[in-house]
Amino acid sequence: MKYKLTHRTHYKYVVPVNTYHSLVCLKPQTMKGQLCHSFSLHITPHPVEVVPRTDFFGNTLHYFSIDVSHKELEVVAESVVESFPKTILSESLSMTCQEARNYVWNTHLLKAELLQYMLPSPFITWDDEIRDFARDCFADTLPLYDCVRRLCHKIFTEFAFVSNFTSLNTPLKTVLKERKGVCQDFSHLAIACLRSMGFPARYVSGYIETLPPPGKKKLQGSDASHAWLSVYIPNMGWCEFDPTNDIIPQERHIITAYGRDYGDIAPLKGIIFSSGKHTLSVSVNLVPLQHG
Amino acid sequence: MHTGTTLDLFQSYQQEINSYDETIGSDGRVKPHWQTLFASLERLGIKELEVRNQEIINRLRENGVTYNIYDSSDGLNRPWQLDPIPFLIEQKEWDHISRGLKQRALVLDLMLKDIYGPQKLVKDDILPPELVFDNTGFCRPCFDIKIPSQNQLILYAADMARGPDGRMWLVDNRTQVPSGAGYTLENRRIMSKLLPELTEGMFVNRLSPFFNHFSQTVAGFANRGKENPNIVYLTPGSNNETYFEHAYLASYLGYTLAQGDDLLVRNGYVWLKSIDGLERVDVIVRRVDDDWCDPLELREDSRLGVPGLLHVIRSGNVTVLNPPGASVLENSAFLAFMNITCRYFLGEELIMPSIATWWCGQPKELNFVLANLHRLIIKKANRKQKFRSMYGRLLTNEQLNDLRNAILQNPHEYVAQEEVSLSTTPSLIDGKIEPRLASLRAFLVSDGNDYQVMQGGLTRSSAEKGRYIISNQYGGISKDTWIVSDTMPEVKSKIVVPKSLPVIHHTSLPSRTAENLFWVGRYSERTMALTKFLTIVINALNENVAFRGSYKSEYIDILLQSITHLTFTYPGFTDEKNEEIRENPYVEIIELIRNAQKSGSVASHLSSFLQAVISVSDKWNNDTRRIINLIENSQKKVVNADIQNPNGFQKVLDKLHIRLFTFYGIISESMPRDNGYYLLEAGKLVERVLSRISIIRSFFSFKNDENIESELIEALLTNQHLLVHYRQIYKTSFNLEATLDMVLLDNKLPYSLVYQLDMLSDCLSQLPKNAQSDRLNQAEKAVLEASAKIKLADISKLTVCQPSTLFREKLDGLLSEVTDLISSVTLSLTHLYFMHTVIQNVLLEGTDNNDIHEV
Repeated sequence: MKYKLTHRTHYKYVVPVNTYHSLVCLKPQTMKGQLCHSFSLHITPHPVEVVPRTDFFGNTLHYFSIDVSHKELEVVAESVVESFPKTILSESLSMTCQEARNYVWNTHLLKAELLQYMLPSPFITWDDEIRDFARDCFADTLPLYDCVRRLCHKIFTEFAFVSNFTSLNTPLKTVLKERKGVCQDFSHLAIACLRSMGFPARYVSGYIETLPPPGKKKLQGSDASHAWLSVYIPNMGWCEFDPTNDIIPQERHIITAYGRDYGDIAPLKGIIFSSGKHTLSVSVNLVPLQHG
Repeated sequence: MHTGTTLDLFQSYQQEINSYDETIGSDGRVKPHWQTLFASLERLGIKELEVRNQEIINRLRENGVTYNIYDSSDGLNRPWQLDPIPFLIEQKEWDHISRGLKQRALVLDLMLKDIYGPQKLVKDDILPPELVFDNTGFCRPCFDIKIPSQNQLILYAADMARGPDGRMWLVDNRTQVPSGAGYTLENRRIMSKLLPELTEGMFVNRLSPFFNHFSQTVAGFANRGKENPNIVYLTPGSNNETYFEHAYLASYLGYTLAQGDDLLVRNGYVWLKSIDGLERVDVIVRRVDDDWCDPLELREDSRLGVPGLLHVIRSGNVTVLNPPGASVLENSAFLAFMNITCRYFLGEELIMPSIATWWCGQPKELNFVLANLHRLIIKKANRKQKFRSMYGRLLTNEQLNDLRNAILQNPHEYVAQEEVSLSTTPSLIDGKIEPRLASLRAFLVSDGNDYQVMQGGLTRSSAEKGRYIISNQYGGISKDTWIVSDTMPEVKSKIVVPKSLPVIHHTSLPSRTAENLFWVGRYSERTMALTKFLTIVINALNENVAFRGSYKSEYIDILLQSITHLTFTYPGFTDEKNEEIRENPYVEIIELIRNAQKSGSVASHLSSFLQAVISVSDKWNNDTRRIINLIENSQKKVVNADIQNPNGFQKVLDKLHIRLFTFYGIISESMPRDNGYYLLEAGKLVERVLSRISIIRSFFSFKNDENIESELIEALLTNQHLLVHYRQIYKTSFNLEATLDMVLLDNKLPYSLVYQLDMLSDCLSQLPKNAQSDRLNQAEKAVLEASAKIKLADISKLTVCQPSTLFREKLDGLLSEVTDLISSVTLSLTHLYFMHTVIQNVLLEGTDNNDIHEV
C-alpha cells in the first residue's frame, strides 16, 4: 500500500518566542517491508538550518532552530511511503518462552545487542505488580509469539482507551491501576511486562491508517500518530504487536522510529525561551494513493 | 635548642606511628627528603609553625578560598583547609607513578572511543554489556560526538592511595569534569609565600608546566585561523561546591567565566551574550556534568546547559572539554576490568594496580562478595545514584543481611571493593605533628595523543585519627604535594611563545556578569548610604536621651521618618498612629540593621551585595578579595550585634562603613577601566543620587521652624560629608539656600548632585554602543535631562514654600523628576546590556493528546 503522509504540528504562543531549538523524529523508515519514497519538512517561520542525523538507534532525526521572533510555529512533514504485506513463517512460531529466554541471555553477541531492550529505561520500569499482571500470559513451555499475543489481548480487553487521562509523565503503575490510557501507555506497559519476564522489547512510533465507518467519508486529519511494540523472538527476529488494537501490524502501520521507549524517539521536541503559555494542535493524514 | 632529654620533632612523630607511614621507605629507613623536611621544621620550631599555620588560615580566608558543603549549618561557604606540612614524593617514584597514570589515561581514552564507537570491548566479551547499557554515564546522544583530536579524554584526574606493599594504588577515576587542579595551584601559591623555608635542601617541581600544557591544549582547539579565540569556562554557578576553583582557574587561565544561559546556540555556533553583543565561542572548558550540558538532547530539565550544544559540537563549530559522555568511564565497576582492558588494547599489564574491585553482576564475583561482605566496601556501580558507600565491618548482622538481600535483588548494580588501606603522613594537628591517613589526586591533560602529568597533586588527609573517609564533603584537610629531588629538575616543557600576540586585547563581559557588577555598585552604595544615615540618627537619639539633648521631638520624628523613606520599609516611622514605634525607636532601628529577612535592612543589603560580589569572583584581585572577606565578617557582626547596646551597633556600623569605603578605594585604584568598571561605577552613582535625594526630600520638602531646619541642615551636611567644608565657608550659620546650592550645584564636591550626575553620564558614555554610536542612548538621555534640570534650577526659588501647606513645591517637584529619570537608568541598562534572563521551556509533542481509537 502506498500512502501520502502529512503530519502537521502547530504551536501558538501567548508571548513571542525569540529562540527555538527543535529535534524532530518524523521521517518514515526505509526498511524491510517499508519504503519511504520521499520526505520533506516545511517549517514556518523559516529555520536557520535543518540538519538531518542518524541517531544511536538508526532513526533519522532532524535538528532545526529558529531565531526570529514568532508567535506561531508550524512544522509540516510530508512523505510518500509504501508498505508491503508482512509474512510470518509459521514454522518458527514454535520457539517457547523458555527457549527464547535462554537463547537471548546466553548468546553473548546477541545479549550485547539486545541488552538495552531488556533493562529498565527512563519511561519503563517494573515491579511485582506489573510482573503479576503479565504472569498468566506466559508459560515456559508455550511459544513466546503466542504469549505476546495473549498479553496484547489482555491489555486490549482489560484497558479502556481514554484520551487525555494520562500524560507523558503518568507512571505505568497508575495506568495499571486505573486500567485506562492511550496507545503509548499500552505499549509501555506491554514492554514493561515483557522485560520483566526477561524478553527484549522495544518501542515503535509511527502511524496507522484509520478507516471511516462504513458508508461514511474519511475525515481530514483523522489519522493519528501511533505507537506499538516490537519483540525480539529468536529465529524470527523483531516481531511487531499492536496492543491498542490487538492486531499484528500490517500494511496500515507506518513505522517512523524504534527506541527503548517514548523518550528516545519523541516525534517533536523543542526548547523555547519564553515565559508564556502555548497551545498545540496536531493533525495527521495518511491517504492511500491510487496505483499507477 | 633542645637538650638530650627532649625528643626532636621527628622522634616524637615516630612514636605516634602505628601503621605504615610515608616517611619510612620499604627498607625500613627514613626517606631522605622527609629527613630534610623535618630538619627544616626543626629549625623553624613548632611554635613558629603554628604561627605560620594561622597565617595560612587567614590567607585562605582572605583569598576567599572555599569549598561549598551541601546541607551545612554554617551556610554554604566553608573555608578551604591546608596543612602547613606538605606531602613528599621522590622524583624517581613519581616518574614511575606518572608512567602508570599515563597508561591509565591511554586505556581510558581507548575505552571511551570504543564505547561510543565500535563497542569491541563488549562484543569481544572484555567488558560486560551491562556496564555500558546499564551505565547512567552512557549518553546515547553522544555516540557520534568526536572532538578534533586523537585523544577524546582530554582532562583526567586519578585518586590514589599507598597500599601496605608500598606501591601507589589507583582508587578512583574522574573523567567528566575533574576538579581540584585549581585548589592545588592555590595551595602551592600559599605555601611558597608563607613557608618558603621548608624547601631548603631539596628541589620541588613546579606546577606551572602542567597549566602551560593545559592552556596550549585548549588553545590548540581554538586555533583554527583565529587570532583571538574565545574560550569560555562553563560553571554551574556560585552554588556549586567547587565554584571557587571555577572562578580561580578562569581568571588564572584568562578564560571567560560563564554560566549556561550566558551562552546560546545560533546559526550553528555557540555565542556568548556579552554587553558588546553576541561573541562567537570557540572552546568551552566545562564544569557542568554530562547530563546537564544540553536540555534539547540530554536532561531536558537542565537549566545549566545550552540548548543545541551537542549539535554544534557535532558540526565541529565548538569544542567542549571533556566531550559530553565521558562520565561513562566513572562507573565504579570499571576498576575491575582495567587490567583485562589494558591487556586487550595495549598488550601489556597495568603499571599501577587498581584497588581490588568486584562487580556483582558476575556469578563468581557475586558469591565472593556475599561471603566476604563484612570486610568489603559496597558501592553502586553507577556513581550518580544517591548511595553512600557502606563499610561491611561497620554493619550489624541485620544490616549485613539487608545489604545481602539488596545485592541479590539487583546484583549488577553493586560493586564491592577491598577496604582502602592508606598510608599515614605527618600532619599538623592541634600544635603537634601526628600521622594521618592520606590519599592523593593526580591530574593529567592530553596534548593530542599523549598525556602530561602535573608534577604535584592534591593530597587530602583525614581530620580525625584513623578515619578512612577522606573527602572534602566530610571535612578533609588538603596538603600541598611536592615532587622532590636532590638536583634541579630538568625543565622538560619548552616554553612556547605564541606566534603573534593579539594587538587589540579584548575581554568578554558576559551580560550576567555585567548585571552583577552593576548591582555590586548599587548594593554597596545602598549599604553605605543606610549605614551612614543610621549612624547620624543613632547619634541624635543618643544625645537626646543620654545627654538630655535639646532636640525637639519634631526633629527626631523627621529623622526617623527619613529612615523609612530611605529604606522603603513602610509604614515604619511614617505611621502617625503608631506611638509605640516612636517611643522606643531602637526596636525598629535594630530590625533595620540586623534582620536579614527584612528587605531594606543593612543585613539584607549586605547579603545581596555579597551574593553579587561572589557571583563575579573572577573579577576581583587579591586585595579586593581580602576586603570583601572583611566585609563578610562585618556582615556576621551586623547580624549578631548585641541588641542591648546601641554603642556596639554604632561601632559595627562604623567599621562596616570604613570597609566599604576601602572597597571603593581598591576598586578605584586598581580595577581596569573596562566595561565592568563603568557598570559598577554607574550602579554606585545611580544609588548615591537616589539615596541622597531621598534624604533631601524627607528633610526639606516641607518647611519646618528655623531651629529644626538648622538641625536638619547640619544632619544633611554630615550625611553629604560636607559639614567641615560648609563651616569653613559659612561658619556656624546654617542657611538652607547656601546648603542646597552646595549640595545640588557645587561641581567641585564629590557628593553634590551635579557632580554625581556628570560622573554618571561619563560612565555611561564609556559603555559599548549597540546601534548608532554617535547618538545618546535612553540611559544617557535620562541622565543628561536630570543634570540639565538641576543645573538650570534657581536655588532661591527652590526654598520658597506655599504659606498654607508649608510645601516646597518647586524643590520637591524638581527632586521627584530627577528621581524618576535616574530610576529609569536601571531599566534602560537592562534593555541595553543585561537581557539574558529568558525562561527556558521544554515542549514535547506527545502522542497522548491526539490519539484516536481504531475501530
